[in-house]
Order: sequence, then structure tokens, then C-alpha cells
Amino acid sequence: MAESATYIYGVVPQDIEVDEEAKGVGDPPAPITAIRHGKIAALVSDVSAGRPLGTPKDLYAHEQLLNATAAEVPVLPIRFGAVVAGRDAVVEEFLAPYHDEFVAALNELEGRCQYVIKGRFVEETVLGEILTENPEAAQLREEISTLPEDAARDHRIRLGEIINQSIEAKRDADTAAMWDQVEPVTVMQTVRPPSHELDAVHIAVLVENSRQDDLDRAVEDLGRKWSDQVELSLFGPMAPYDFIVSQDQDGE
Amino acid sequence: MTVQPVGSRPGGGVQKGSSGNGLADVIDTILDKGLVIDAYVSVSLIGIEILSIDARIVVASVDTYLRFAEATNRLDLTKSRKPGLPEVVQTAMSGGGGQQAPQPEQLEQLKERSPLEAAGDKLSDFSDAIPRQSRKEG
Repeated sequence: MAESATYIYGVVPQDIEVDEEAKGVGDPPAPITAIRHGKIAALVSDVSAGRPLGTPKDLYAHEQLLNATAAEVPVLPIRFGAVVAGRDAVVEEFLAPYHDEFVAALNELEGRCQYVIKGRFVEETVLGEILTENPEAAQLREEISTLPEDAARDHRIRLGEIINQSIEAKRDADTAAMWDQVEPVTVMQTVRPPSHELDAVHIAVLVENSRQDDLDRAVEDLGRKWSDQVELSLFGPMAPYDFIVSQDQDGE
Repeated sequence: MTVQPVGSRPGGGVQKGSSGNGLADVIDTILDKGLVIDAYVSVSLIGIEILSIDARIVVASVDTYLRFAEATNRLDLTKSRKPGLPEVVQTAMSGGGGQQAPQPEQLEQLKERSPLEAAGDKLSDFSDAIPRQSRKEG
């Protein structure tokens, strides 16, 4: 039987209450508890040190706990997979040495949460647009249809390359448009790398809780304009994963 | 630590949700972002094996190009000699009509795939991959 260790989800203000029903990673999922120190607390659960982590259930458990928390209080999310030797180590090595730093960050996050805006090009529409806008692409498509499959391979690669470049250009334009659209109603914004070749927009924003409706409206307005061209999603509130930078990650 | 940015539907409807709509979004977020514990804890850190895959990098390859070309080829622009956008849209909406449309089935599929289902596809891909692949945490 492997030893038990402590899995850390995130850092929250000390005065939170943990739902007794809240469960975390592991099989069976372990109950969530809070380890308090000074003005802050770490959300943790026991985990078997011998079992690998990272099943879809584990990933969802980590994310859902942090997002549910973020909907209520400021939280500093820890990247998935943080395990330390035990509860004492959480205080001695994590909460105590960095107490003031964590307090400052939590203060800055007070009343704010993250949303992610994701847009995906409707494939047939964007391809149709590109063929209309780019004569070379239209011509290649024409030629491909008359050539035997083997002979057309180079044509197809060239056509695909043009399409890919065009989509990248459209992505840049749409990302810029969405950025401008949400900037007035959000505190911070950051562009995420595309997660799919048909991504039109992938932006994370930090928003004041009181302005969540404004963000909603801003995204919807652009969504109406892009109707039929881009399928837009707005995810949140979630923990501010994209806006927390430790010194090491900062590259300094 | 600082709070700062990391790194630099039809009818106007916007899909909403509390989090991403699939495992792909979750992976994007919690494996890739958030505080790295190594930056804080060193002595008692336990390097537990993480089963996962890196889902975020989209690198265009010849495969991508061929797939785009194939999708373009499937577009039914032949009914009119001037392929205008509205017609492309209409073709797709009507599922290609059936008679001369190259692959009406595939158009149907595309049309009916909501982002949610598409993410679901990805999810099963990952689930398949998870037992076989592991990533060492830096």
C-alpha cells in the first residue's frame, strides 16, 4: 500500500468554508479540506502517492473544484498535479514562506474572475470565403477536380497551405476584433494559442464580477455580427488560470 | 507572484458554460496554466506520475493541408459558375441536396456537429491516448 500524500488545488482566503460534499482527485475521490495559515488557506485532499494521476475524472475534479470556488471567492489555482509529502509540508513549505505574496495576489483578485472566449470557424463558410477571396485557391480546386488523385497531391498540398494561411490571417483579425470588443469591459486580457486549426478566437479575460453581464453582452454583440461564420462560446466564471504568474514562470 | 496575463453560432447565439465544453478545454487550462508548485515547494514535493497528453499545440502539417484541400473539394460549388458565399452556405445548410453533391453524408455531419459534440470527439481521442502516454512534469 502506497503512502498517502497531499494534493494541492489552490490557495484561498482563510475565512472560507469547504463544502463537506466537495470531492477531489483520486479513486475513490477524496474529500476536500482546507489547511489554514494566517490569512490564507490551501484547498487539499489526500492522495495515494503510488497511483498516477490524470484520468479524465481527475482532471474534471481539479477544474470543477477550482471553478466552483472561483464563483464564490478569489482563488489562486495551482497547475494540475501538485503533490507534497503531507499536510505539515503544505504549511511549512508553501503557505508560510509565501503568505504575504499570496495575500497580495488574492487581494488583487478580490471581486474578479476569469472567462474564456472561444470561437471556431464554421468550416464550410470559411472555406467558401477563401475560395471567393483567393483566385489561386479557386483555380487549384478547379484543377484538382480534373486530375487523377495521385497527380493532384502537390496541388492539394498547395491549396491546403493557402487555406491554412488564410485562416491564420482571419484568426488574427477576429482575435483583434474580439480583443477590442471586450477590452472596455474587462480588467485584463490575454490571447491563448489556438487549440484547433479552425480556431477563430481564443482569449482569456479577467473581469470584475459586477461586469459579467457587460462581458456577456459584448461577446454576444460580436457573435451576432459573426453569425454563420464563427461559433462562439463564453466559458466562466472560472479560476484565473491565465492571470497568475509566479516569479519562475515570469522568466525573471 | 503577480496577477497579469500569461504570455501575451448561428443567429448570434453564444454558447455558455461554467467551464470549457470538453476534456480538451480542461487540459488546455489546468495542465498548462495556474501556479507551478515547483516554483514554491522543493523539499517535500512528490513527483507523482501524470497521465496525460499535450493537447494545446496546433502545428499545421501536410496532413492539415490535405485535410483542408479535401474539405474544400467537398464543397459543392458546381451548381453555379460563380461560387458566391451565400450559395456555399445554402448548400451546406441543405445538406448538399443529395443528387450531385459529392458527399452529402459528410456535409450532414459537419452541419450537425455542435462544438460540444466536436469536443466530445476529442475527448474520446484523449481517453484512448491516456493509458498509453505519459508526460513528465518539468
